[in-house]
Amino acid sequence: MNQQSIYAPQKVTVTKIIEETPTIKTLVLRPQADFSFSTGQFVELTYPGKGEAPFTPSSDPAKKGEFEITVMKVGRITALFHQAKVGDTLGLRGPLGRGYPVKDFVGRQILIVGGGVGLAPLRSLIYTLFSRINDFKKIVICYGARTPQDIVYKYQIQEFKKPTKVELRLTVDSPDKSWKGNVGVVTTLLEKLPLNSQEAIGIVCGPPIMMKFTTLKLKELGFGDENIYLSMEKNMSCGLGKCGHCRLGKFYVCKDGPVFKYSQIKDIEDIWD
Amino acid sequence: MQFISYYNFRRLLERLSKDFLVYTPQFINEKDYDYSLFKEEFTFNPYRMISSPRQFFTASSSLIVGYFDSKISRREIKPFAIVGLKSCDLYSLKIQDYVFLEGDFIDEEYKKKREANLIISSDCTSFKEVCFCLNLEIKPYPQEGFDFNLSDVDRGFLVEIGSEKAKKIWEDNKDLFEEREDLSERRQAKRKKIIKELETFLKSQALVEKENLYELIKRSRESELWREEALKCVECGACIMNCPTCHCFLLSDEEKEGEYFRGRIWDGCQYKNFAKVAGGANPLKLRAQRLRNRYIKKFEFFKERIELYACTGCGRCIEACLAKIDIREIFKNLSKSLRL
Repeated sequence: MNQQSIYAPQKVTVTKIIEETPTIKTLVLRPQADFSFSTGQFVELTYPGKGEAPFTPSSDPAKKGEFEITVMKVGRITALFHQAKVGDTLGLRGPLGRGYPVKDFVGRQILIVGGGVGLAPLRSLIYTLFSRINDFKKIVICYGARTPQDIVYKYQIQEFKKPTKVELRLTVDSPDKSWKGNVGVVTTLLEKLPLNSQEAIGIVCGPPIMMKFTTLKLKELGFGDENIYLSMEKNMSCGLGKCGHCRLGKFYVCKDGPVFKYSQIKDIEDIWD
Repeated sequence: MQFISYYNFRRLLERLSKDFLVYTPQFINEKDYDYSLFKEEFTFNPYRMISSPRQFFTASSSLIVGYFDSKISRREIKPFAIVGLKSCDLYSLKIQDYVFLEGDFIDEEYKKKREANLIISSDCTSFKEVCFCLNLEIKPYPQEGFDFNLSDVDRGFLVEIGSEKAKKIWEDNKDLFEEREDLSERRQAKRKKIIKELETFLKSQALVEKENLYELIKRSRESELWREEALKCVECGACIMNCPTCHCFLLSDEEKEGEYFRGRIWDGCQYKNFAKVAGGANPLKLRAQRLRNRYIKKFEFFKERIELYACTGCGRCIEACLAKIDIREIFKNLSKSLRL
């Protein structure tokens, strides 16, 4: 056995499983060896003998001993993670890539825009920002899901608006009878923002189409390309900048991202595909 | 300079066989040579082999590591001594080295093989119809990146020693070498001759100049040519598998009797699912996008990252393509359509 290999996973134990929506679960994982990450970095999670997939932890990076990933069932490997049970052993490589440059956000107004399971990495960021909330002028969190049923972290999302300088806006594409909030895609939440868009930071994570239209909307509102941070979704396989799958212009998403400023990538072809 | 006769060179390889798996050139058909395990007889290759040296450093399909409590591990084999690499092949190793050895993560298997293997390169004495190394300013004789380099002169080789490892081997086998000062000029004359011949051959093709390739790819994102050329592509992947600078791979997990292990399989951007993500999005869903991607990667990405084109001018992609897609023609046609 060669534990030195950059391709070998270490063991993690599933300690808890939270059903978020019919297609999304959060797995609480306890690594057997030391592990820590900074917000926005990702990990490669292995289903033993079957394969691995990249996820950005959704838990508070300051929390020691355990971390969480939120998995939407979309393919072969994510379906296997959905079958995992408490006590199962999975594999872990990471942390990998570069996360959110939180120190660059100090003293700024911050807009966070999430779509669907894209709230997962943002929740870890929200924890980090909240832990030093006096460093920021204002935080506005906008989140959209397809239906009320598809909202992740329902059991705690209202807590996000507890700090006085935080505003939370929620929307769904299709409401049910009980929904009393906003209806429409997430960009409909971006009107009359209590922020100075010339100076504010916009942080976006969600499906490619949502990121595209949110970015266009933010630009229209006057956000600078330098101030828009995007989590790019590419086929990150090795996570180490070697296997070649996640090239984006002169970058590898796994090594140089997954978080990029829009100004870094706006001239690259097909970035939203 | 040191000289070794053909006969003594074979004796040297016999001695090296103790510590190395020695690969030598083998004549395989009227114009092609390939690597073959050293037997008593072998043919000296006048130009590069049909397959690229990439296979000696990351095999096309191999076990990387057993994980968790697996007892499965990579079988340790003797390092390779590889005879017959050419200048273009040595250039390709600069690209592979960047990928696997640079940055925060080092591929241990690759590193071990690069350090342990012995590279015995040689001057080209002829070239293939698809060769265009000089167009990329790569000379047809090695100047760096080898342990030993051989120049064929006077029923033997003038030997250049390029590493400490090689120096040690030379010291241990001094009885096989002799000092010859009279052959340097002969080597020089031979080198001049091959350059002249290759220059004349390439001039007649009116290829796009090296310094224009980067701009050409940068400015041809919307060119119709990608679609026209890609229509011919049958997606066999031969260009990828034969390219010495291609490096992309997949990790593949398996289980055998409760033991887990992970392997590496060569992958490449001309395959349909190369860039596809689990959610279904595929930024390289069209053949035209994939063909263009190959050129962006080789002539833009690597140029911007390390100031090198990831192309050696070896022409293996031209030779291997069933659809006769020809990199030289692609550049010429792009250049024409953009009037550069």
